[in-house]
This record gives sequence, C-alpha cells and structure tokens, in this order.
Amino acid sequence: MMLSCHDLGWSARGTPIVRDVSLAIREGETFGLVGPNGSGKSTLLRLMAGLLEPSQGGVRLKGASLASMPRRSVAQALAFVEQHAESGERITVRDAVELGRTAWLSPLQPWTAGDDAIVARALGDADMTGMEARFWHTLSGGERQRVHLARALAQQPEILLLDEPTNHLDIQHQLAILGLVRQLPITTVIALHDLNQALGCDRLGVMHGGRLVALGPPDEVLTVPVLRDIFGVAASFLIDPADGSRIIRFHPAS
Amino acid sequence: MTLASAGKPRASRLALSGRAALAALLLVAAVCAGAAIGETSIPLPVIAKALANRIFAAGYPLDAIDEGIVWNYRLTRAIVAACCGAALAVSGVVLQALLRNALADPYILGISAGASTGAVTVAITGLGAGAISLSLGAFAGAVLAFLLVAVLARAAGGGVSVQATGQIILAGIAGSQLFNALTSFIITKSANAEQARGIMFWLLGNLSGVRWHDVRLAVPVAILGVAVCIWHRRALDAFTFGSDSAASLGIPVRQVQILLVGTSALMTAVMVSMVGSIGFVGLVIPHATRFLVGVRHARLLPASALMGSVFLVGADIASRTAIDGQVLPIGVITALVGAPGFALILIRGRRGR
Ligand SMILES: Nc1ncnc2c1ncn2[C@@H]1O[C@H](COP(=O)(O)OP(=O)(O)OP(=O)(O)O)[C@@H](O)[C@H]1O
Ligand SMILES: [Mg+2]
Repeated sequence: MMLSCHDLGWSARGTPIVRDVSLAIREGETFGLVGPNGSGKSTLLRLMAGLLEPSQGGVRLKGASLASMPRRSVAQALAFVEQHAESGERITVRDAVELGRTAWLSPLQPWTAGDDAIVARALGDADMTGMEARFWHTLSGGERQRVHLARALAQQPEILLLDEPTNHLDIQHQLAILGLVRQLPITTVIALHDLNQALGCDRLGVMHGGRLVALGPPDEVLTVPVLRDIFGVAASFLIDPADGSRIIRFHPAS
Repeated sequence: MTLASAGKPRASRLALSGRAALAALLLVAAVCAGAAIGETSIPLPVIAKALANRIFAAGYPLDAIDEGIVWNYRLTRAIVAACCGAALAVSGVVLQALLRNALADPYILGISAGASTGAVTVAITGLGAGAISLSLGAFAGAVLAFLLVAVLARAAGGGVSVQATGQIILAGIAGSQLFNALTSFIITKSANAEQARGIMFWLLGNLSGVRWHDVRLAVPVAILGVAVCIWHRRALDAFTFGSDSAASLGIPVRQVQILLVGTSALMTAVMVSMVGSIGFVGLVIPHATRFLVGVRHARLLPASALMGSVFLVGADIASRTAIDGQVLPIGVITALVGAPGFALILIRGRRGR
C-alpha cells in the first residue's frame, strides 16, 4: 500500500467539499481520478499531497501518517503537479526544474553532477531538452505544464500526483506524457477530464459531489449509467478495429 | 541577467572563494572610502595609520583630532551604514520571495514604521536604557506591525501567499501610516522639545549619532541575519511557484515563513533603532541585483548584501558631502536614487508579465 485515505474529508467554512473517501493506491499502478468540474478531484489530490489538513479521517504514506511526517521526507517520496502554478519571476526552464532537487539537498550540500544528470533526464522525459535557457514567461501553456512535470520527475518520487497534467498539451504530447507516466516505475494518481484517456489507467475513481462514487477497472467503472447519472452524457462504446480496444463516443443526454 | 542565468555558472570552490575575496575587498574599500571622504578630506595614508594605531597599537605620530574623526566618527558610521545596507537589502529579498511580491520591502510593509514606533516608545518612556532595549522595543514594534499588516491583508481577501498580492501592499501602506501617526502622537504627547528635535532628526534616517557600541550590535546582527537567510536559500527558491509548491518540494512552509520574516523584522528593527527608517534600499537593491546575477537566492542573497552595503556607504558619503557644511538625512539620498529606481521596477514589472 503506497498511499491510502481512510474516511477522508475536508470542509471549507463548514461546507463539506470532500467526504468519506476511503481509497488505497497500489504500488506501481496508474490511478485515474475522474469527475465533473467541482466534484473535488483537486481537493482530494491536495489532501493526498498533505497540502490541506483533513477535517476528517487521514492519509497514510507508505504506512506512516502523512500529517506527522516532516515535509522533506514527504517530498522525497511524493511529488505533486498542481492544476495551476505560475510565477512572475524571471526564472529559466532549468531553474524551475532544478527546484525539484530541493528535498534532496541540505543547506551545506553542494549541487553535484548527479543532480545535473537527474535534471537533464527529467527535461528529456518531458521533451523539454534544448529549452533549458528559455525564460518562464516566454513559454506557452503546454510548455509550462511540461516544465512542471519535469520538476516533479526531478524530485525522483515514488508517487506522482498529477492534477490535469494534459489539459494544455497538444495531442502528441498528451499521449507522450500519459505513456510516460504509465511506463515509469512510479505509482501515479492522475486527475483527468478526457474519459477515453482515462480508459488507459489501471484503475479509476469517480468523484461526484465530493464523494468517491465508483472505484475499479475502467471498463467496470465507466458504464452507461455512470456516464448518464454523473457526467450527464449519453454514450456508446465502439471498438477500435486497429487494436480491439474500447472507445467511448459521447452524445448530449436527451 | 540573461548572461548569468542562461549559462550554467556552477561556481567551483575556487571561483567561489575568489568571488568571496572580491566581495570582501569591495566592502573594505567602501568602508575605507567612507572613512576617508568627508568635510575635511583625510588622505588614505593617514587613515591607514589611524587604523593601525587603534587596531595594532602601531604608535604612528598623528593629529589626535584626525585620528579621532577617523576612528570614532567616520569609521563607525561607515561600518554601521554597511551593516544597515546589507540587512535592509536582504530583508527586501526575503520578503519579496516569501510574499511573491516585487514591491515588498520592510519600509513599504510598515515594518520600519512599526520599529520606529517601538523604539520611540522605549526612548520616551525610558523602559530601560541603551541600544539593546531600544532594539528590543523596535523589534516588538516591527513584529506587531507585520502581524497587523498580514492580518489586514488576509481580511481584505488577499492572504499573505496567494496571487491577489495587491492587498498586502495596500495593507502595508495603511500600517505605515498608522504607525507613523502613532509615533508622531507619542512624540507630541510625551517628549519635551529637546527630545522631540532629536527624535525627528533620527526618524528621517541619520547616522550622525552612531558610535562603537552601535557597531558592536549592528555587525553581529547583520552577519547572523544574512547567514540565516543564506542558509535558507534553497527554501526561498522553492517559493517561486507559491507556498503550496514550496510545501510539495519539501519545505516546512509555516516554519520557514515565521523564521525568515522574524529574521527580517529583527534586522530591520535593530537598524532602525540605530539610524532611523531608511526607505528604498530594501526595494531597489534586490531588483538591481537580480538584474545582475539572476533570481536564484544562492547568488542573489550575498550579492544583494554586498550591493546594499556599498550603496548605503556611498549614500552616507553623499549625504555628508553633497552640501558644504551640512549633513543631509541619508533617507533623502536613498529616496533620490530610489524613487526613479522604483519607477523603473514598475515599468519593467508590467512588461515582464
Ligand atoms: N478553499 C475553498 N473554499 C471554498 N470552496 C472551495 C475551496 N476549494 C474548493 N472549493 C470548492 O470545492 C469544489 C471542489 O473543488 P475542486 O477544485 O476539488 O474541483 P475539481 O474536481 O478539481 O474541479 P475541476 O474539474 O474544475 O478542476 C468546488 O465547488 C470548489 O468551488
Ligand atoms: Mg481541479
């Protein structure tokens, strides 16, 4: 059990935003979180990253209570890419990715060639090699997202929490990043809106009104009733003749 | 800036110690200039002999008045100016990083004003005497002012760490006004004419009263404060994308914020209690330094400390020599240089985003 939540809940000024979520993420799996806007995906991810204090229940990371762990140990095990994170500083792509090494360096430890190699690999994995010297404010939205991912990879985490990491990416990079995440030997929890991409996850959790309403393999979770009741769309399932996998075609609910 | 951050300047140990030596040399040169230049210009050999006499008991025959001016008057003021410049510039860097606001500095956020109120309260009520209690009073005032400003900003919906960072500046302006008014109130109500004149002169930023006991407080505070901030250079870098991002990079955010804001407040308070509140240094020096060495704190902090020291020693020299026979408050000089610098930051800031 890498990461688990038990009876997890969080309220904002008395209004419950996430409630009663119990969930165990297995080692090495790619776990997708889906659900309509405002269903609590980002809030759940922030709780799992230890950025919000649960008002109910708790999170355990590799068996230990997340709330009682030092931030540094958490960051060595778990990296989080937020849905939005901006900066007005004139930092370069390399500077931004190097931040990922923070948890591994102490004040007296100098930066080493090993850190350089890790940063270079992370840049390569996110397909940002060659753009190291570009300034942050000159990057496109998708490039910024890839830098954030590279920073999280430079953190060398065992668990990666990604909040809609593909929403600004072109189709090629969407597939590349999802492919990368699935193939890396890292446990990943990923919030997604594209349900066809979500079909590629090992397991899915469906959020609705702050609750986890369905949990399991994508084929069992994304059913016609779930799509109708929770996502508010009608759907038909097609088979891709190229490889026999299922795809969903959506229609407005009638 | 492009040069510095685009390449990959991983300073080797040698280059690092070379730079440190260069910085120390610059600092010593500035302080010597501070001791040499003034109404009566004293030639460098005399300065060197005066220092040798005092430090090594070299026993060169010198005019006692010249030696006294150099040792008790000019050298102390140059050293305190250097400490003050370093402390204010580093405080500015730290506040700008933690609040993610290009306009943050101890002066604008009301920390200096709070420190003035605290120091004046101690001076007038006579709650203990001496530089230490004055500094403690200033520290209490500085912390109180920052807390008030932070609470006000949060209540206004800005929060201390979120994107809507305009609020903290507005709250800071309100806080400064409040504490400046409090200071005036206390002076008018409780001080006699003699005290009032002295305090008003000091409030504008004044180094004339500085003596060796001030040096003994300013030097350790500046060195320790700057060292604490440099120790946390990576943590400050980690705030680039906000405090949530810093937390997920492994920074204990609350702890670091309290420690570093406290350090800035302490440095500011000690300096204000000696020389009054000096504006613009904490704001303009960090930006000028970013322009030269880039935004990473491993280089930005030491470079800002150096630039701040040299700048304030220079400003002090200018304040003593600009008008014949008269000493300007140093705040006038920093404002004359700082205000255009501030305008430049505003213009550049708009273009950058
Ligand atoms: N600090 C807060 N105060 C009040 N309400 C909040 C707060 N944070 C989140 N919410 C509310 O909680 C709900 C869930 O938000 P969350 O960001 O988790 O949704 P999401 O599933 O990630 O949505 P999206 O798909 O749009 O990213 C939303 O209705 C949001 O308005
Ligand atoms: Mg979200």
